[in-house]
Formats: sequence, C-alpha cells, structure tokens
Amino acid sequence: MKNWVIVFGGLLISSSFLEAKQIGAAEDLNWLTQAERFIEMKDPSIRKVALGALLMGLSCGLIGSYVVTRRLSLFGDTLSHAVLPGIAVGFIWAGEKDNFSLLIGAGIAGFAGVCCLSLLKKFTRIHEDSSLGIVLSAFYALGICLLTRIQKVGYTDQSGLDSFMFGQVSALSSNDINGLFITLLMISLFIVFNFRQLLVTGFDPQFSKSIGIPNDFLQFVLWMLIAFCVISSLQLVGVILVSAMLVIPAATASLLARRMKTYLVLSSLLGAGAGISGTFFSFLGKSLPAGPLIVLVSALLFLFILFLRPEKGILFCWLNTRSERSRIIVENTLKAAFQILEQKGFEENEITSLEIMKKRGLSRPEVEKEIQNLTTAGLATKNISPIDQVSLPSQTVMTLTPKGWEYACRMVRNHRLWELYLTNEAEYEPDHVHEDAEKIEHVLGEKTVRQIERLLQNPKTDPHGKLIPSITDIHQGNLPGAS
Amino acid sequence: MNFIPKFDPSKVFFEPWATPELIAWNSQVILMGFLVCWASGMVGTFIVVRRMALMGDAISHGILPGIVIAFLTFGSLEVGPMLLGACLAGLACSFSIEWLQQNSLINKDASMAIVFTSFFALGVTLINLQAGHLDLDTDCILYGEIGLTPLAPNFIFGGNDFGNRSLWVMGLICAAIIILVSLFYRQLLLTSFDAILAHSIGWPVKIIHLFLMLLLALSTVASLESVGVILVVAMLVFPSVTASFFFHRLPSILICTFPLGILYTFGGFHLAYWLDCSIAAAMAITASICFILSVIFGPRSYIWKTAKKKPS
Amino acid sequence: MKHHDLPIEVHDLTVSYQKKPVLYGVDLEIEEGSFVGILGPNGAGKSTLIKTIMNIIKPNGGYVKIFGDSPKTGIKRIGYIPQKESVDWDFPVTVFDVVLMGRYGYHGWLSRIGKEDRNKASECLEQVNMLAYADRPIGNLSGGQQQRVFLARALAQESAVYLMDEPFAGVDAVTEKTIISILQEMKKAGKTLMVVHHDLASAKEYFDQLLLLNMRKVAYGSVSEVYTHELLQKTYGGKLAVLSEMATEVAKNADT
Repeated sequence: MKNWVIVFGGLLISSSFLEAKQIGAAEDLNWLTQAERFIEMKDPSIRKVALGALLMGLSCGLIGSYVVTRRLSLFGDTLSHAVLPGIAVGFIWAGEKDNFSLLIGAGIAGFAGVCCLSLLKKFTRIHEDSSLGIVLSAFYALGICLLTRIQKVGYTDQSGLDSFMFGQVSALSSNDINGLFITLLMISLFIVFNFRQLLVTGFDPQFSKSIGIPNDFLQFVLWMLIAFCVISSLQLVGVILVSAMLVIPAATASLLARRMKTYLVLSSLLGAGAGISGTFFSFLGKSLPAGPLIVLVSALLFLFILFLRPEKGILFCWLNTRSERSRIIVENTLKAAFQILEQKGFEENEITSLEIMKKRGLSRPEVEKEIQNLTTAGLATKNISPIDQVSLPSQTVMTLTPKGWEYACRMVRNHRLWELYLTNEAEYEPDHVHEDAEKIEHVLGEKTVRQIERLLQNPKTDPHGKLIPSITDIHQGNLPGAS
Repeated sequence: MNFIPKFDPSKVFFEPWATPELIAWNSQVILMGFLVCWASGMVGTFIVVRRMALMGDAISHGILPGIVIAFLTFGSLEVGPMLLGACLAGLACSFSIEWLQQNSLINKDASMAIVFTSFFALGVTLINLQAGHLDLDTDCILYGEIGLTPLAPNFIFGGNDFGNRSLWVMGLICAAIIILVSLFYRQLLLTSFDAILAHSIGWPVKIIHLFLMLLLALSTVASLESVGVILVVAMLVFPSVTASFFFHRLPSILICTFPLGILYTFGGFHLAYWLDCSIAAAMAITASICFILSVIFGPRSYIWKTAKKKPS
Repeated sequence: MKHHDLPIEVHDLTVSYQKKPVLYGVDLEIEEGSFVGILGPNGAGKSTLIKTIMNIIKPNGGYVKIFGDSPKTGIKRIGYIPQKESVDWDFPVTVFDVVLMGRYGYHGWLSRIGKEDRNKASECLEQVNMLAYADRPIGNLSGGQQQRVFLARALAQESAVYLMDEPFAGVDAVTEKTIISILQEMKKAGKTLMVVHHDLASAKEYFDQLLLLNMRKVAYGSVSEVYTHELLQKTYGGKLAVLSEMATEVAKNADT
C-alpha cells in the first residue's frame, strides 16, 4: 500500500504545489513576522482574504441561524455536496473559471437536488435521512466524475476547480469577494424585511399559513439563499466543510441567546470571528488550507461556550452542584443541632460533637469539619471542652449564634410543615413522607411555606407530634435557654 | 479533445480484458469492487432501516483523524494500526454525538453536523501539518483509487506468497461482516425494529448498537483505499434502498446486495473506462442509475401501483 | 414473614422526566389474575408507570418488583404491547415475522428458530383472526390490524403478565371487540393484565379492577369500589398544585 500511495500522492502533491500560490510564500519569514503582516493589513492580498472571510462568516452565521433552528443542518450538508456537478458543468459551459457561470451551474444543481428530494418524498416511502444520503452521494459522485474528466481533458485554468474541495484562500479573486458581498446583502435584506414572518413560520407553520403568510415561498427563498451562501463560501472553505460554517457558529450562538435578534447578531459575529481567526492561522501556517482551520476555530469556540457559559455551562453546573451540596450539609447539621437541643427540652444550649455524630451518623473528622463550616459562616461558635476523664477524648462543643438559631428553626419548620402537608392533604403513608421531606426543606421558598401554613391552618405539631417552630419564635430570635 | 469520448462498445467492454496481463490486473480491481460493495451493502442495510443513513456519512468523515493519528503514532501505513485508529475515531465520533445531544439543547442533526465536520477538519489539518513528511494525501482519502489495488504488496506468510495483501484484508473483513451479520441476524433485526421488546427479553441493546457501529467503522476503513471516504455513503445506502423496490423482507434485501454489488462494480468499471474518470465515482453513478430504474420499474414502486390502480 | 410473590409490586415510586415529576410516591400491589384498567388525565403518568415497570425509565425513588425479582430480570416474564405510534411501519418485515419475534426470548443467542415456534406463531395469528395476512408486509395494514398483530406477538411470548399501552386507541369497532374477547380469554387462562385506557365510559365495562392515577395513586380497587363520582373527580379534577410545584423543585436539585 505504501508504494502506490507514494506514487499517486507524489503526483498529486507536486501538481498542486506548482499551481498554488501561498500568501507570503517566502520560507524564511518566521511566524511572528507573518502575524504582524496580517494584523497590519498592509498587503492587499491579506486585506482581500480577511474581507472575504469576514463576509463569509457573517453570511453563514446569519443564514445558519435559520438552518439550525429549522433542523436543516443535514440538508445544508447535502446541498453543499450537491452543487459540485453544477460547478463542473458551469466550468465546461464557460470553458474557464468564470464565477458567474459557476454560480449559475451551482444554483441549478442545488435546485435539482431539492427537486429530487421532493420527488423521493412524494413518490416513495424512503425515509428522509436515506433520501438525503441518496441525493448527497449521487450528485457528489456525478460531480467527482465530471471533475476528474475535466482534469483529464486538460482545460486551461482548471486549477481553480481543485481548490473547491477544501478551499484555497490564495485563489480568492475580487469576483469572489463581490459574490460574498452580494450574498450577504441579499441575506440581510431578506431577514430584515421578513423577520416577523420568518419567526412565525419557524415556530408554527400551520398557524402562519392560516394568517396568510406565504410559507412555501419563504421556505423556497430560504433554501435558495442557503444555496447561494454555500456557493459563495466554496472558495474559502471548500465543499465538504461549508456545512460546518452553516451550523457551528449558529449552534454556539444558540447556547447563549434567548431572543431571535440577539441570536442572529451573535451568530454572525461568531461566524465572522471564526472566519478571520481561521484565515489568520492559515496565514501563519503557510501551507495550511484555511477551510479546516476556520472550522476548527468555530468548534473550539463552541466547546468553550458549552463548558463556560454562565449558569448553564457544564463547568458552572458542576460548581453549582458542589456548592449546593455544601449548603445542604450545613442545613442538615443545623437541623440536627435543633433536634438535639429539643431532646434536651431546650434546657441547655451546648451541643457536643459526639451528639452530632450520633444524630447524623457521621465520623468524627466529618463532624469537626461541619462544625468548622458553621463557625466560619457565623452560625455557631465553638469551644474545646476540658477533658473530664482520662479515657474520654476532648470534645468540640458548639453553640448556635442567633443567626444560626434562626436558620435552624426555619429548616425544621419547613421540614415539619411539609411532612404534615403530605400526610394530611396528599394522603401519603407516614413511611413515605420522611425521606421525601428530607429533600424538600432545602428548596421550599418562603411564599410556599406561608401557603402551606395557611392551608393547614397554622398547625403547632407535625405528624410525629413534634413542635413546629412558629414564625414569632423565629423572628424574636429566641435562643434556647433564654425563652 | 471532446469532453465526452466517443462510445465504442468493443473498446469499452473488451479492451480491458484483451491481454492476460490486463486480465490479471483488472480482475483484482473488480474483485476489490465486489468486496467493498458487499461489505458496505450488508452493514448499510441495517444502517438504513435504523434510519441512520447520515450517521454512516458522519462516521465515514469522522474516522479521518483516527487514521492520521494512527499513522503518526505508529509511523506506518500498516493496516492494523489504521484499522484500530479508525475504529476508535468512529466510536469517539458516535459517542460525542450522543453526549452532545444529552448535555445540551442542540438537536440531533445539528449535533451530527458539528461533530463530524470538526473531526474531519481536524484530520485534514493534521495531514496538512505533516505535508512532506506524510505520504497520505487528501485526494486519495477523499475518493480513493481502486484502480491501483494491484499495486499493493503481496501477503507473505511462512515463506509463502498468498497474493495481493489489500485483497486479503478486504476479503477477510468482508467475510467477517457476512458471517457476523448472518450469525447475529435475529439480534440485529429485533433491535432495529423494536428495541423495547429486545430490552424486555434481556438483550443488551446498547452493546448491539455499538457492535453495528464497529462493523460500520470497519467496513468504512477497509473501503477507504478503494472508494474513499465520501463515496462510502453511496455504497452503504444504495443497495438496500434499491432492493426495497423488489423485495419486502429483510433477508431478501440483504441477499440482493450480492448481485447489486456485482452490477455496480462492472458497471462502474466500464463506465470509468469509457469516460476515463474515477472508478469510485462511476460506481456510485451506476448505483444511482440502478436506483432510478428501480424507482420507476420496480414491482413494489408507487408508480407501478398507481398505474395498476388506474382503470384501463 | 414473606408473603407470596405478587406479579407486580410497586412501592413509593417516584419518577421524573426532564426535571418534571411525573409519578410521585406511588404504591401498588397487583394480585395474580387481575384485569386492571389504568385511568387518568393526559400527562398523569400512566404510560410512565408502565415504562418504569418495564425498566425503560429509571425511577428517582422507590422500587418495582416483578414476582419478587428486580425489574432487570423480572421483565422477561412480562409481555409488553406498546403504543402503535412507537413502531416503524415501513420496516421490511411481514406480519408473520413480527409475531415470530415474540418467540425470540425462548432462544439463546445462536440457537435456531424451530417448527414449534412457527406453529405457535401461526396459532396466535389465528387467535386474532390475522392468519390470512401472514405474508403481508406490515406497512399495508390498517390501525386495527396493526394492533392485532402486536397482540398476537404478545400471545406468542406466553408471558404470565401483560402490560398494554392504549390498545384501543384508533382502532375500529370490530377490532375492539376482538381484542376485548381475547383479553377475557387470557384472563380466564390465569394471566395478569394491566391496560392503560383512555375512555372512561368503556372502562367500567371492560375491566375488573381500576387504577386511578394522577401523578400519585388516587385509588385502586374493584370497579364498583373505585368508579365513584368523588374519586373520578379527584383524579380528573386538577392536580395538587403545591405538590407538583415542589416536586419540580426537588427534581431540579435531584443531583445533590
């Protein structure tokens, strides 16, 4: 296998190497200088490429918002493969790489692809995903066949066609830039003038039809715009990866935005950002095609946002869970403290670590840690008791502060009210109630607790006959032993 | 030079078989074609009935970084490491898609698009970073070169020359796939049709799914050399959708893969010979033509049925 | 003292779906030979209960026992008939193929399907009046025929317990009569049947016991005991608002 790869690979690499003109091809420049050159934007070719990447990113981001929300991602992928034969035919027709004829060819091929999909849907029982696979591979194969044929026939200026696989930034012409600009303009105008209609048709197609919105026409235009976006981006990212640009920036934006307008803006900015950064890195790397790098930058941005977005980012969820856990441990300790004091009839106000260990079923170091947590939070104070007997180890002794007492009362009240509620109103068996109530008191809000109290008519005792601390007790801040 | 060469039947159909050397060369190419079609067709039938056709596309793109990393790690294009790397990448791809779906509100098709394009971009970038050091080139990964199959070295074992190594590898994989599919046919059938029933009789549904993904990665990797990553999808999808217009039971559809594979290979080979283009593309085009014909003329097609219903 | 193993025993079952509680503290003891109709408004958790018993959904609290075993092993003794919508009717199999699938549980991984299995499948098809359709692809069946095929498959499983999810939804009157008479036969043969049902009026006629479900068990018992205005009002009349809100909160914090 190695032999034939060398033979064939060598032929292809050398042929493409001869044609490709890299930006700043001098091998001696180190990457720092390259970076400077890029940022300064003095070189017209650099400016052109950056502009192209910017325009492409904006277009793909904008139209991509609709692709993702309407679940057209794989359709976008199919379309990007399906335009290939159109490009080949356009080239043959024009006899050279004339952007306009390529565009027309690609448009016709895209349209043909869409028609085939509709035909398959109407006349067969083939499922949607298989139909997409069929159209994708059939059109693509036709495209490859025509392209390899073109290579063999040896048209002049056919080198540009190879670049459609992964994009070749150096082959970007001013025609391409114009094409990108026009596409962006069309997409923006379409969205601006049809914003509300698009919103309604995306959300509820049936309803939109009933209020007279031309659903099918809008959808058709949307598809054609996707096709245009694909075609104009081909020179930069190539056929295979263009669908990535339609999906990834928009998906990233969907993690952050809640409203459609924000979504559109974020999506286009992310697309533009990825486009420019990717081109920048490709420029640094000298021989790396821009397409894959632009996609990788978008993917990294996506992962970054997925993990780090505020509130719902995976990292935050994990941190939240940990802080929730510690809050619950604190509350459980307070509850245990209350119960211990209650058992002693509120005559003392000191609680030993041994008592907590027994009540909570935890080990000594764990209890020490909990007491420390309470002390740090200002909910308790601690002392070391003197050694009574030689054999007993010294114990930590804890006293609740007024703040701690109030918190503990609230916890116990919530817990016992909830137990009563479940037993009385929801008719639960007593042995069900206890475990569930263990979780509830941590999440009951004040409003709900008042609601329950009213419902149960301000009860004084819970199903097990224990005291339910009343609001007055808590607000007066009565410490046990002082009341 | 004309774009479409003149079609001379004797030239197109007989020239490739004119001399003994040509016969020896081309029959290896044809055999490889059969094996690729049969292996992909068998696996692809289950992929299609599980409505996962584009998963096949996704995985065939997703295995690229696996192959490149295997090459970088082991320093050679040996089959073993490549298969391993590709299978691992394929499984990573399918896990990532599921993970993404479960841990965010991103819908299924967007998740697939995100994962496989990123993997693919990674693979292409790695290849290009190594340009000059790596003998792997992107075009062959993309659309393969089945015509160069006979160039592969021979398989030498214990001092005996068994013949073309690529054919042996593909042959073993194809045989393995056929045997495994026959052996575990009931399991694949039930988990595809009604996973809940399978689950209730105690079968490990997830593992069977993984097993199918593994077979998919295996057949894709093995076909890589010949038809390249892109056209694998054609070989996965076309046999079963074409056969479904002739037969209504799964076993018959599976068996139909064999004659269809032969048809695609011969059709593609001669088409490519006539047009002087990529054989893999020609095979896919042949498959499309067969499909279109079966849609129109197949006994189970809708068009036929509506025609029957019309009063004459 | 351990009493005899009940076909289905559920204790304090709590199930959340996408952070919303669907079932909350459900207790159930189903005796052998029962013929139970499960009633409740939409979203009350009826299908969820069935799926949790079938170990398709994992509960957040409580447990399920099937003949005293955990669900993982116990579900092998249950025949489950899902809702029609959950199946791909374009799948390339015939009616006979589907019914034969009911026999797969009786074979190891590599053993062959034998003549007795085929005979049993034919028998079951005969029982539901579908033998004439044995070689039809399943895509060409009406709603009622589809339901009967599923019933035949369940019969072929020869289970002791059957769980059915809305078997009468969207079927014609003839099929409904057929299904009910088959269910009656199954009950006479000593099977235990639990059926999620959507229609209050017919529930009274069809079943021996009724389970009224609305996120929690409202009532369970014989039709005469349970089919009362008061209990039906409790079931269909609106949920316990505070309970469901709170349960949502707990479910959200369920990871802690």
